[in-house]
Amino acid sequence: MTGTRRVTNLALLVSIGLVLSIIESTFPPLLPVPGAKLGLANIATVIALYMFGPRMALEVTILRSVIGGLLRGSVIGLFLSFSGGLVSTLVMIFLYLLFDRTFSVVGVSVAGAVTHNVVQLLAAYLLVRHLALFYYMPYLILIAVPTGLFVGFAARRVNQSLEGLPLQAR
Amino acid sequence: MRPGDIVLVVLMVVAAAASMILVSRANAGEKGSLAVVEVNGKEVLRVALGAGQASRDFTVAGVQGKSTLKVSDGRVRMVRSACRDKLCVGVGWIDSPGRSIVCLPNRVVIRVTGKRGGGGKVDSVTE
Repeated sequence: MTGTRRVTNLALLVSIGLVLSIIESTFPPLLPVPGAKLGLANIATVIALYMFGPRMALEVTILRSVIGGLLRGSVIGLFLSFSGGLVSTLVMIFLYLLFDRTFSVVGVSVAGAVTHNVVQLLAAYLLVRHLALFYYMPYLILIAVPTGLFVGFAARRVNQSLEGLPLQAR
Repeated sequence: MRPGDIVLVVLMVVAAAASMILVSRANAGEKGSLAVVEVNGKEVLRVALGAGQASRDFTVAGVQGKSTLKVSDGRVRMVRSACRDKLCVGVGWIDSPGRSIVCLPNRVVIRVTGKRGGGGKVDSVTE
C-alpha cells in the first residue's frame, strides 16, 4: 500500500468509528456505569484488523478514542475509552494472530467487546476506588456478548463486500 | 461461526449469569440499615435507614457541584446532581446492602450497608 492510500483508508476507518460512537452516544445509557456503551464503534477496528492487519487496527483504535474524547470534551471519557479500546484491540490481535483457526471474526469480536467492557470497568474503578462498581460486571459482560456478535457479523459482511475492491493495490 | 466462537459465547453468558445469581441471592430480601455518602473517597455523611421513615433531602458538595439525595422509607436515591449525564439520578432507589450509586464526574458515592460488612468495606459478594 502506498502512503496516500494507507492514510486514506485509515482516515475512512477512523471516521466510521467516530460516526458510530456519536450515533451510539445518543442512545440512553444502558447501565448506571460510567463509560458503559454498546461498543458499535468497534466495527471499525474489527474491519481494520481483518482487512489491513494488526497495525491498522491499533492505529484506528487509538485515533478514534483520542479524537472521540476530544469531540465529546470529556477527559474521563477519553481515559475510559482509550484504556478499554487499547486492551480490547490487543486481545483481538492476539486471538487473530495465534488462534485464527479456533475463532472466526465473530468470536474475536465478542472477545474484544467483553474485554472492552471489563477493562473500562477496571479503569472506572481506578477513578472511583469503589468495589461496589463490580456489582455491574455480569451485566456488562452480558451486554457485550450480543454487541460483540452484531459487530462480528457486521464486520464479516463488510469484509465480504470489500474483498473484491482494490483497497490495498498500489 | 466456528466451534470456538460458540464455546466463547456460551462461556461468557454462563459466567455472567452465574455471578449475577450469586450476587442477587446473597443480597435478596435484606435491607440496608445505613447509607454512607462519600465525596472523592472521603466519607461526608451517614444517614440511618429504617422502614417507614419520613422523606428527607440531603445535599453534599461534590467536585463539580451539589448533589442532592433523598432518604425515604429505608431507601435512598439521588434526586439532583451537578454532573452532565445524570446516570446517578437514573439509578433510582437502592435499599439492599452492597448496592451503591456512583457519580463519577462529581465523585460522589452513596453506599448502602447492612448488618454484614458495615465497617466501611463492601460485602464479600462483590469482591
